[in-house]
Amino acid sequence: MSEIRLEIKDLCKTFGITKAVQNVSFNINKGEVHALIGENGSGKSTLTNMLTGIYSIDSGHFIMDGKEVHPKNQVEANNEGISIIVQELGTLSGLTVAENIFLGHEDMFVKAGIKNTNAMNRRANELLKEYGFDRIKASAYIDDYNFEDRKLVEIVKATYFKPKIVVIDETTTALSQEGREELYKQMDRIRSEGDTIIFISHDLPEVLEKSDTITVLRDGVYIDTVKSSDVTVDDLKRLMVGREVTGNYYRADYGEAISDEVVLTAKGLTVPGQIKDVSFTLHKGEILGFGGLSESGMHEVGKAVFGASYDRQGEVTLADGTHINDIPTAIKNSIAYTSKDRDNESVVMNQSIGENICLPSLDSLKGAGGLLSGKKMKDFADKFAKEMSVKMVNTDQFVSDLSGGNKQKVVLARWIGKDSDIVVLDSPTRGIDIKVKQDIYQLMDRMRKSGKSIIMISEELMELIGMCDRIIIMKDGEINGELMRSPEMDENTLIEKMV
Amino acid sequence: MAENPNNSAAAVSRDEELKRLSVMSTVRAVLPIVGLVLVFIVFNVLTAGRMMSNMSLVLSQVYVTLIASMGVFFIMTMGGLDFSQGSILGLSSIVVCAVSNINVPLAIVCGILTGAAIGAINGYFYVNRKIKSFIVTICTMFLFRGLIKYLTTNSPVAASAKIIMMDSTVLKVILTVVVLAIGFVAFNYTKFGIHLKAIGAGEKAAMFAGITTDRMKFLIYVLAGAITGLAAFVNVIKVGSATSNSGNQLETQILIALVLGGMPISGGAKVRFMNIIVGGLLYIVLSSGLTMMGFDTQTMQLIQGVVFLVFVAVFADRASLQVIK
Repeated sequence: MSEIRLEIKDLCKTFGITKAVQNVSFNINKGEVHALIGENGSGKSTLTNMLTGIYSIDSGHFIMDGKEVHPKNQVEANNEGISIIVQELGTLSGLTVAENIFLGHEDMFVKAGIKNTNAMNRRANELLKEYGFDRIKASAYIDDYNFEDRKLVEIVKATYFKPKIVVIDETTTALSQEGREELYKQMDRIRSEGDTIIFISHDLPEVLEKSDTITVLRDGVYIDTVKSSDVTVDDLKRLMVGREVTGNYYRADYGEAISDEVVLTAKGLTVPGQIKDVSFTLHKGEILGFGGLSESGMHEVGKAVFGASYDRQGEVTLADGTHINDIPTAIKNSIAYTSKDRDNESVVMNQSIGENICLPSLDSLKGAGGLLSGKKMKDFADKFAKEMSVKMVNTDQFVSDLSGGNKQKVVLARWIGKDSDIVVLDSPTRGIDIKVKQDIYQLMDRMRKSGKSIIMISEELMELIGMCDRIIIMKDGEINGELMRSPEMDENTLIEKMV
Repeated sequence: MAENPNNSAAAVSRDEELKRLSVMSTVRAVLPIVGLVLVFIVFNVLTAGRMMSNMSLVLSQVYVTLIASMGVFFIMTMGGLDFSQGSILGLSSIVVCAVSNINVPLAIVCGILTGAAIGAINGYFYVNRKIKSFIVTICTMFLFRGLIKYLTTNSPVAASAKIIMMDSTVLKVILTVVVLAIGFVAFNYTKFGIHLKAIGAGEKAAMFAGITTDRMKFLIYVLAGAITGLAAFVNVIKVGSATSNSGNQLETQILIALVLGGMPISGGAKVRFMNIIVGGLLYIVLSSGLTMMGFDTQTMQLIQGVVFLVFVAVFADRASLQVIK
């Protein structure tokens, strides 16, 4: 059972003068799911990116089945028997499903210099069928499929050739329950065939349940390797953070009455192909959760409330009767929104932290003569970046330099600076480490107590249960039930309504 | 929040790395100015001081380009391109010349309106029909160049004597300074500038921050057309007529000038107002210097091409380079 598949020896990688991975050595066995955990920036992805040829190795060795491997790119890594499923989209737009699956390996279908597209599609369809993803057609363009299905295509792409090591990097946070189940199924299969999975996830209960062995990294340094059966979530947290994690993770109160004051009413919201006839009210000082499968339409509800949906029907009305039909009106009326697609829709990546924070509040930052005051902007940005404890050099730094958690803090700082009364948070903790997650939960609790209303859309059931006063469950674009906050509620109650 | 020692050590080294990066960006920012001074000195030495003594002649060519650059500067800040500027200048010049025979103030207004109208066509196809800006503007460049040729088939369109009489360095300097000054204030001290940069740096996110991106994009093209329509007036008082070649290659001159000034070709937050000033001057010094040294047009184009390529290679911000919109 414990035959060594991969030896990692004295591995080092530096970016500039940042030591991303320092002298890391450990072994990974055959037929195991080996989890790699650590906070953001601990070096997990850097390590696996070196293994899969995305980054070059500074020094150190990977020894697979007794032979050193040193892939220079992903195709070489594939040929060595190593593949990866990445955190964000790993498929290429504009290509067909089949072309994506066989990217870099088209030679299999080339005869006399000519690619046999039919053979390629046929093979891809066979594979899709084998995996049980029949609804995906090999000859269709990948763009025709949603995020979830594209991930499934990636799973096929990364595993069809029976690789010896499959790296799954933070994939599950982007998937709905359904997608996760598919992924787990494939993980079990690979493991039972005696091959190895390197599993990276921030979701510690998931890590404990799905992995055999866990290696913890912290700040690029190897900390420990433990058996999953020997540890608890708290043990892992301690290893990751290097200290005891104390205090309440979620909010602790139960049975607080929700205010009768309605601040926002949504009536008959319909977005063709996304949501159908969604109606609800949001009360003052409440956290209203939206849960469901990724494709249940719940993400669109957030956009619809913010006036960002394309071709929306129905009404969003505030307490004073104002109708919200577009983003500028929404912002003017104190509604804030953070998108699930943080890098594209929330932060302006190639812009400074300061300008990102000031963007919706420019009207209030004018100095003499109606012109913008650089000093006011700087003070404003400094104040709210500090309030959110954004880890940065100064507010002139570009957002693109920041980690996912810190980007989210910049977005939140923007809306706190705007002093928005209604805050729509779509997947606020997606891909974010424990420490920042805890900060965000605490912030939400403070906002709630100060009378702000929050809509929280999330695929993580635990955080919905832990944070929300009410949870609306969506299914197939419609509301399929509503649950009130209670200490007895567990994930199964929600899942029942979701599927 | 308590940091463990390892973590803060990593953070410190990251600080140093970022400082190094900011030094590099300072170097990039200073380079065009150094270049301007160097090129100026080199040409003065090579031409034995003739450039210095002919300064007013050198500068007389700069006004039209500088004014027209203002609009393109805004367009490029939000990540677009505009190749139709030369045709806008040409057609507006024809309108200014023709109308000047009726009434001079009306001619100026009509010139600006013509530019704005072409800008609106660019904006419509770019924003509403979602065609990439460089493709749209290349099309309108050809389209309106064709119209210009048609309108000037028999003879150039001559301007009235009244408008030609207005030619004075003072007027041209004032107009240029006013346009640039308004542009400067708008770019650095109003929402307008920050919104433009935000669109260039991330359009979708800008939209979710409440910026009406589509309207803004459309209006910028209209504005750029209008500004070039004003430049047409300056062009007419200098030249006195509009020919089929009026405004030819203005778009390339503007593009080269802006890039020489260190303007990132994909726009965004790294755009500085200095880019347009330094770039305009650098371009004029370079081209008039080459003329004074007696190079023929072909060789000059060759040299300009090489210089352009070198500057793009130096200033292209590869990390944030996206597809030009």
